[in-house]
Amino acid sequence: MQDPGTPAPPMSALSHSSVAPQERPSTVGPTASTQPSKASVTLVSTKSKKTGSLGNVHRMRRIIAEDAEWSLAIVPLLTELCIQHIVKNFAKNPILKQLLPEHQQKVLSHLSTDLPLEVTANLIEDENYWRRCCMQRWPVCHVARHDGSWKHMFFERHLENLLKHFIPGTTDPAVILNLVPLCKNYVRRIRMDQFLPPVRLPHTPRTGDQSDSGSEGDMDEPDTDHYQLGDLVAGLSYLEELDLVYGVKDCGMNFEWNLFLFTFQDCQSLAATIKACHTLKVFRLTRSKVDDDKARILIRSLLDHPALEELDLSHNLIGDRGARGAAKLLSHSRLRVLNLANNQVRAPGAQSLAHALAHNTNLISLNLRLNCIEDEGGQALAHALQTNKCLTTLHLGGNELSEPTATLLSQVLAFNTTLTSINLSCNHIGLDGGKQLLEGMTDNKTLLEFDLRLSDVAQESEYLIGQALCANREAARQRALNPSHFMSSMTANVLENSAG
Amino acid sequence: MNPPGSLGVLEPNVDEQSSTPILGPSIHSDNPQERIQARRLRIAARLEARRREALGEYLDGKKESEEDQSKSYKQKEESRLKLAKLLLCGTELVTNIQVATDIRETHRRAEEEEIKRQRVEKLENEVKTSQDKFDEITSKWEEGKQKRIPQELWEMLNTQQLHCAGLIEDKNKLISELQQELKSKDDQYVKDLKKQSDDICLLLERMEEQVKHVMKNFRQELQLIEKAFEVERQELLTSNKKKWERALQAHNSKELEYLMNRIKKVEDYEKELNKQRIWDCEEYNMIKIKLEQDVQILEQQLQAMKATYQLNQEKLEYNFQVLKKRDEESTVIKSQQKRKINRLHDILNNLRVKYAKQIKQFQEENQSLTLDYKRLVMQFKELQKAMRHFALIDGEKFRDVWLMNEDEAKDLIDRVFAADRIIHAQHLGLPWTAPDFWFLKNVGPISQQQQKSATQIVEEVLMQTEEEVEETASEPESYLDLPKQVSARTTKKILMLLCDESGFLIESKLLSLLLPLEKSERYLLKLDAIFSALGIESEDDLYKLVNFFLKYRAHRILSVQVKPLQQASVEQTSVASDLELEEQLEMEEEQEESLEEEEEQEEGLEEEGEQEEDLEEEEQKEEEEEQEEDLVEEGVQEESQVEEGEQQEEKKTLPSPWLIHPNDVLKILEAFVMSLKKPRDPRPPVRVPKATRNDSRDSEYWHALTTVISPTKQNLWDALYSALQKYHLVLTQRAKLLMENEALEQQNTELQMLLQQYLDSKINSQLRVPPTQVLRMPTK
Repeated sequence: MQDPGTPAPPMSALSHSSVAPQERPSTVGPTASTQPSKASVTLVSTKSKKTGSLGNVHRMRRIIAEDAEWSLAIVPLLTELCIQHIVKNFAKNPILKQLLPEHQQKVLSHLSTDLPLEVTANLIEDENYWRRCCMQRWPVCHVARHDGSWKHMFFERHLENLLKHFIPGTTDPAVILNLVPLCKNYVRRIRMDQFLPPVRLPHTPRTGDQSDSGSEGDMDEPDTDHYQLGDLVAGLSYLEELDLVYGVKDCGMNFEWNLFLFTFQDCQSLAATIKACHTLKVFRLTRSKVDDDKARILIRSLLDHPALEELDLSHNLIGDRGARGAAKLLSHSRLRVLNLANNQVRAPGAQSLAHALAHNTNLISLNLRLNCIEDEGGQALAHALQTNKCLTTLHLGGNELSEPTATLLSQVLAFNTTLTSINLSCNHIGLDGGKQLLEGMTDNKTLLEFDLRLSDVAQESEYLIGQALCANREAARQRALNPSHFMSSMTANVLENSAG
Repeated sequence: MNPPGSLGVLEPNVDEQSSTPILGPSIHSDNPQERIQARRLRIAARLEARRREALGEYLDGKKESEEDQSKSYKQKEESRLKLAKLLLCGTELVTNIQVATDIRETHRRAEEEEIKRQRVEKLENEVKTSQDKFDEITSKWEEGKQKRIPQELWEMLNTQQLHCAGLIEDKNKLISELQQELKSKDDQYVKDLKKQSDDICLLLERMEEQVKHVMKNFRQELQLIEKAFEVERQELLTSNKKKWERALQAHNSKELEYLMNRIKKVEDYEKELNKQRIWDCEEYNMIKIKLEQDVQILEQQLQAMKATYQLNQEKLEYNFQVLKKRDEESTVIKSQQKRKINRLHDILNNLRVKYAKQIKQFQEENQSLTLDYKRLVMQFKELQKAMRHFALIDGEKFRDVWLMNEDEAKDLIDRVFAADRIIHAQHLGLPWTAPDFWFLKNVGPISQQQQKSATQIVEEVLMQTEEEVEETASEPESYLDLPKQVSARTTKKILMLLCDESGFLIESKLLSLLLPLEKSERYLLKLDAIFSALGIESEDDLYKLVNFFLKYRAHRILSVQVKPLQQASVEQTSVASDLELEEQLEMEEEQEESLEEEEEQEEGLEEEGEQEEDLEEEEQKEEEEEQEEDLVEEGVQEESQVEEGEQQEEKKTLPSPWLIHPNDVLKILEAFVMSLKKPRDPRPPVRVPKATRNDSRDSEYWHALTTVISPTKQNLWDALYSALQKYHLVLTQRAKLLMENEALEQQNTELQMLLQQYLDSKINSQLRVPPTQVLRMPTK
């Protein structure tokens, strides 16, 4: 945008001076070679009638004529000007693919970020452009969470934004559906941490006047259905991750129970949606008051899903029946990660999960944090681990476990070679249980993490277990570095440890 | 609120404290400053030790470097371990909050459950009591209905009201209690919210702190590691520098030593050089004097040479002039000759062209003529064949006619003889003797054994055998008249052998001419030539030759008994002996190999005989001796070629001519020629025309046949005939009379018969006077 002729144009003239070089070289370029200064002057004068503002032109003329340093080299090239023109009119006439690569780069680096998505979505692949878009829109951008692709990130977050502020009944669904053809190739995941309920009154749900009535009636439930994802998800052909929270964020003191209603209707439609989406790999539905029935509906729709690998239903109200459903899902899918943290699973549920786990060969991680499986469930899981050869991570924190489970687990630890991480924090393992676990750990060479915090274990045994874990970690590191020199480094480590 | 939070905060401290005593006081101490201090001390100690080591020992640099490496490695390991620990602690610190919340939550849940249980219990109790009360009230309503007195009713109503109010009050109390609880819960919620925000703040704070701490530590460790590396590098540098200096020093000293040595050597060499130079000068002078003397002598010689050279030059110039002149002359002659040559070349070319034309013409002519000739030969051959065929047929016919006529004549003669005999025996009463004539015994045409020429015979033999081959044994026995039971095939084979072996007798021109002809014809012509050369003319000669061969073979086999060959005449050999010999040959064929030695001996004998013979007849035939020598040579040459093919054929034919070794053929021939020369010196060059039958004796023969009966006898027969005729007449008359008599007798008897008949008939009896009575029966 800099005018080569004007060394220091005033700010007011900037807009006009920017016009002149664009128009001028389009015709001057070839003729200017013989008499550059004169020709430019005459041409500017002829053009001046069209531009209108005569005074400025006169000033321009004077400046150019007097400029001793003006030379042809400073005149922007025709290609440059063309590119500028293309950039300027990109919204109306997007020309990109026909250009040479270096020109494409130039165009892309000068494109405005507020161009309509209809133009840019399927045309521009350049990451730098999308990066600019993202940076402009959001202050914090974790591109790594979006496959390292800025374009994906832009569309995913754009879509999430739209969905987050979608109010059923008031917002036009076309707003979202129109976006589908533009973003269907670039959206891999949808992370929704809020779904707004429909507005029943002229007030927004945040007014909190009718806070009492919302929590009372089941009658109102059908009215509080959230946005149905079905159409959107069906349009997104590469969707892999669905992270949903049926709730409202930042309600603060305007809390109302009906803001957090995951209705049956929602559940049914969601089940149908995830069943139809065959590319889905990760499904998370957290903090949404999913109870047993809804969990079963969802899980039934996920049975024999071709791609699903991770299921996260943490922070819900799932009880034993839901856990049984999850156990069934374990044996009817290729689930690798199951998260049922902070639910209401008790011993029977844990037992059914343990039964499914005993012969499962897919599940890698199981999280049952903050449930209440107690010793019966814990023992059942420990038994299952004796036959399971796949599970690597097990989280049983806050489950009211005590010494019997610890005894069984110590036996499992002695010969299990797949487990790498166990969390037994916030249980009542007790001193004896800690000792037994320590015994089990002495024989184990693969466990890398073992959390026993706040579980009434003697500090000494906890420390010794920590030492064993250290050794295991070191060994694992050596294995990963170079399997051939494993032995020598092992001895070195042992020496060092003994020295320390 | 406070206990869990403080617990979360306390937790890492506890952890850290627990880890300190085990990690060691100095290096692994909690205080970073202290740790750094400790590490520095350690490094200084190590450096000291290394320096001492470097100064003291020089050899185990390698080991040292290894140690260095291990030291930096150790430093790295240490840092890594420490940082890992730091990270672990940090994460633990951060997660402690979560764990604390978790346990708080579990506690809360437990409490909540307890409270819930209590509340439910309380509510149930309340329900029970209120129900009781309500029941009481309702029962009182019944009572009230029975009451008629308003006072009482009022009273009762009042009490009811009181009761109800109490019930409601209870309920209200409960409600207010519950609401109180709710309120407290709300407060709790607010507090929890605050607490959570505090927690989150704490979490964030800790995370930030952690990040800072970790970064600081990482930086520190990085510095430490770098420092360690630097120290290592410096150590390495100093040690290397020292090494380098030492090496340089050593090098310098050595260099100096070398320099000294070199100077010394240079001086030595200089001395030697001087010595050498003086010596060389002397030598040079001596040689110079000698060479000058030589030069003088050579110059003298040169002068002499120059004189001779001039002399020679003059001479040569004169010669050159002479030669030049000659050369000119010769060039003139040469040109003349060249012209002549050209002319002659022209002529030659013309002649060549002509010659080529002629050749062409003659070739064409020759070709046409040869074609004609071939055609004619074919025709001639066919004609000959036909002629032979007709001759045979004619002969046969002639013979048949002859025989027929002869038979007829013989028949007639027989009859004549029979008549004669009868006449003699019966009429003349003389004993008859059969006349004996030569021609009476003759049967068939009279044939004269003609002397055929040898070539004819040969031709016949050849043709015969040819035909035989063609017709395959159709007429094996009908071979013309080869006498002495020598089969045609044998003869042919002998002749072939002869033809092959004695090619030298044929003129070379003839041979070249014969080439295009057929095989049999070639043989024929060859044989013709050979026979003419050998002087064989007649059939007998040929047979003699053949027999000679056979005889020779027999002689060879019966080596010892047989007399020298040339004395044994051909006529003496009988057929029987020949046959016997052949049979013996058969037997002995198988023993041939064993006999080979004998054969060699025989050959030796024969040679001796031949030599004798040669001596005798030297004067007669000188040329043949020469031939003979040639023959022997040729035979030796051909021996090897012929042997193999022929020996196989030997066994096929009984009187195998191949028994006669091709080498022997010439010897036999020579012997034969010798024997032939003696009896016949003049050569009758007459050639009897072929196949002209001599019919001079035929007329004689036939005439003789007619004169079987002599004229005297004929006269006799004539006389006899007339007499007999007369006799015959008398006899015929007598016969006639006899006949007449007889007829009369018969008539008589017939009449007697008739009479008898009449007499015997019955009418006689009837008759009064029988005639019988009248008549006297003539008695018989």
